[in-house]
Amino acid sequence: MIMFRDITETISKLPKLAIYLVFFFFIIGLTGPWLTPHDPLIVNLLEAGVGPSAEHWMGTDHLGRDTFSRLIASARTSLVGMSLILAFALTIGISIGTLAGYQRGKVEEVLMRMVDVGQSIPSLIVALAVIGIFGTGYWNMVLALAIAWWPGFARVSRVVAVNVMNKPHIESLRVLGASPARIFFLHLLPTTIGAVLVYATADAGALALSIATLSFLGLGIQPPTPEWGQMLVDGLPFLESDPRQVILPGLALTLVVIGFNFLGESIALNRVPKPLSRLILKRRRFETNEWIKE
Amino acid sequence: MTNNAVLKVENLVTHFKSVERGKVVRAVDDVSIELMPGEIVGLIGESGCGKSTLGRSIVGLEKPNSGKILLDGVDLSSLKGKSLRTSRRSIQYVFQDPYSSLNDRQTIGESIGEALLIIGIRDKKQRSKRIHELLDRVGLPKHLSDRYGRELSGGQRQRVAVARSLAVNPRVLICDEPVSALDLSVRAQVMNLFFDLQKDLGVACLFIAHDLALVRQAATRTYVMYLGSIVEAGSSQDINQNPGHPYAQALLSAIPNPDPRIERNRKAIPIIGDIPSPTDPPSGCRFRTRCPIVVDQCAETTPESITVSDGHYVACRFAERNG
Amino acid sequence: MKTALLKVNNLKVNLYTEHAAVRPVDGVSYSVAQSETVAIVGESGCGKTVMNFAPLGLMPTGVSIDVKGSIRFDGQELVGMSEHGLRLIRGKLISTIFQDPMSALNPSRLIGRQIAEVSELHLGHTTKQAEAWALDLVKLVGISDPEYRMKQYPHELSGGLCQRVMIAIAIAAEPKLLIADEPSTALDVTVQAQILKLLKDIQMRLNMAMVIITHDIGVVAGNADHVAVMYAGRIAEYGPVEEVLVNPKHPYTKGLISAIPRSEDPIGSPFRGLSGMPPYLEGPIRGCGFSPRCTAAIDRCSTSRPSFTQITNTNVLAACHIVNQSESQGAMN
Repeated sequence: MIMFRDITETISKLPKLAIYLVFFFFIIGLTGPWLTPHDPLIVNLLEAGVGPSAEHWMGTDHLGRDTFSRLIASARTSLVGMSLILAFALTIGISIGTLAGYQRGKVEEVLMRMVDVGQSIPSLIVALAVIGIFGTGYWNMVLALAIAWWPGFARVSRVVAVNVMNKPHIESLRVLGASPARIFFLHLLPTTIGAVLVYATADAGALALSIATLSFLGLGIQPPTPEWGQMLVDGLPFLESDPRQVILPGLALTLVVIGFNFLGESIALNRVPKPLSRLILKRRRFETNEWIKE
Repeated sequence: MTNNAVLKVENLVTHFKSVERGKVVRAVDDVSIELMPGEIVGLIGESGCGKSTLGRSIVGLEKPNSGKILLDGVDLSSLKGKSLRTSRRSIQYVFQDPYSSLNDRQTIGESIGEALLIIGIRDKKQRSKRIHELLDRVGLPKHLSDRYGRELSGGQRQRVAVARSLAVNPRVLICDEPVSALDLSVRAQVMNLFFDLQKDLGVACLFIAHDLALVRQAATRTYVMYLGSIVEAGSSQDINQNPGHPYAQALLSAIPNPDPRIERNRKAIPIIGDIPSPTDPPSGCRFRTRCPIVVDQCAETTPESITVSDGHYVACRFAERNG
Repeated sequence: MKTALLKVNNLKVNLYTEHAAVRPVDGVSYSVAQSETVAIVGESGCGKTVMNFAPLGLMPTGVSIDVKGSIRFDGQELVGMSEHGLRLIRGKLISTIFQDPMSALNPSRLIGRQIAEVSELHLGHTTKQAEAWALDLVKLVGISDPEYRMKQYPHELSGGLCQRVMIAIAIAAEPKLLIADEPSTALDVTVQAQILKLLKDIQMRLNMAMVIITHDIGVVAGNADHVAVMYAGRIAEYGPVEEVLVNPKHPYTKGLISAIPRSEDPIGSPFRGLSGMPPYLEGPIRGCGFSPRCTAAIDRCSTSRPSFTQITNTNVLAACHIVNQSESQGAMN
């Protein structure tokens, strides 16, 4: 599909490190459960608080669960959580934003005021409010963060939609007598989806962090489902005696967030053309020297 | 005025809200023009005169505030929804910029094909055949249908835009500066195409341009527009040889001549100052603030359209009736 | 023959991007004398803009270029000059005005300030001196109500006025050479004449040389002394305007001039132009760049590059095998 072309083109220009980190995250998240040497949920108090060994590569936590396996399983929890939240938030956000950009006028006003309200409250507060109303738990966390996240997507969609609608090629479709449905679904939506997906990738780091924060506070993903934030809060009492239990999940979370943030930054900064590398310059110079001198 | 005009615009008014508070941009202020079947008519004026807005209002890209647009005698404002869309198709539009009027994500074939889908040609084979016919009609080789817009030159892209407009079988083409973004040597390719369409398909064209030399050769009749109103109308011959309105006179005298012997001695009629803001047009005759023959009365009443000769109208109190 | 202020000799410019190497200027030679106006005419992709901007270091960032050949300006060699040296020349000795006046001005600074800072920089004026200088310039370029205009921002001015401001900025340091890139293209035809006349007046007053880059032959006819017609990075024909525009020799020049609609052409008569497309500059050009589109081309035209030679009994130089051929035949007779 055409929008994939945009995405692959953008990806090829991004810093390799960020790509690897994010990619790594994805792979672990997807294949995780089959990689874990131990079941991350099995409690074994006899082996609690053990340091790294051949048996447990990263040791165990205070309940004897294999840390390594838990980290991997957390990756999956995070990934699934993020995907679900993004799925909901993107659907709502893109629909509302694109509609606002298409319709303009009163409809746009109403929708964008809703977006304004949503955006003016920090995402975590929104999430806490929703959880306060509906209670804790996995699906409530998904709902809460989806509600916190959709306004940003709506705003980007609207901007892109307004931009596209003013372009001559859309105007020529209107003159040709294309039905509004055709313009909206076949021309407008693919462009806004493409733009928002790029934006969403950049914003994903914040989302991963929010999931961890909620479970850290005990409001999101509940034990025994492993999650980095949870592992952090579980490991806090052992900060002095066994810092490993805090450092390891913290590190994992940090790497993922950094990866996404790098990605996001370079998407934003990608506009400035870099001067040519010496190798390419040399190659080009060589080319022109070959040209016939007359 | 005859009654079998294919396109008739009556007293069209299109205003915009200005960026300045409370002010209104009177882009098109009571304009009436008409187009006979198969005729090429020019609309000339400088930037800010409202000619583009007029063109866009006719095809529905801008919403007029009042006035009528009659297609074969049918008032378009009396139609709604699907029937409006279907009728509107008879009037197509060619944009100025060939580089943005085509969708970069579609091949040429897909672009033209979409126009065919819009008018209901669902059969792929039939569409393919028609696409090749249309490319042929605009003088482009068939294999271009697999290329993307960015691989084509400006002149080729413009011809693709025309081909796409033709796909819906229009009776009228509104061309907004169709060649001004193209190189001089390439313009002929596109301009001669319009002549062919006129001859072979009977398509009427409204040529909106600021290049007077071009319009002079292409159009049989010309309207001259200034700050939202038509100041002169007539056959291209009349307007070029005998312009009646001071603005038209100045405009025509400003056309540069490529022969240095003539150009160096050419004395253009000067127009003083800058064009007034369309949010605040001068009272009475809008051109009075820059007119070389202005008198006090010009500020009091809007000049009527005086028939200078058969089919030649000038909106200036000093125009003389010859006919 | 006036001595040349600017002498360009066999100038070549290579342009490198990530994907390709292009040679937009391929061996160009011409000269400009003091108080003289030379017009560089060509269509898109002929290299006319690069030719004037690249040697001055005015290419956009991210574009790597190589400049070869020689450009002698007032005794200095510009090819190979350091950025520091070029900066001393830009604005002070050689000035430029750009195509789109609205975007060439800084939208967040007052007009008066933008003009004043030129003389502060190049003429060492104090702020007060510079402001007075700027006021004089604003009057000189024919802007009415100058004190009021000085305190305005570019977006408050029309295109014609912005162009005048840009001219004021360009001549603030009284340069010896002014390069005008499409000075009238973005303007209405009634304003065009005013601006071109202004440039002429200033040129006379400052004894300035001028290079006008344009695709509008009418502008050339009324404003230039010499004209260089460019195609595919090379000069096709060069000479005094009265000779080149009235009696063109090169097939491209002929085609270009015939493409202009004339008042003698009857209404409805077909337009004239050239077939085909402009050339690709992303590779070496074999022979004459115009040969694929030339109706008079012979075999030689696609294999060997025609030399840029003077046509006898004229002041015109042309690069065309056909022209050279009839030359040598004439010489034999």
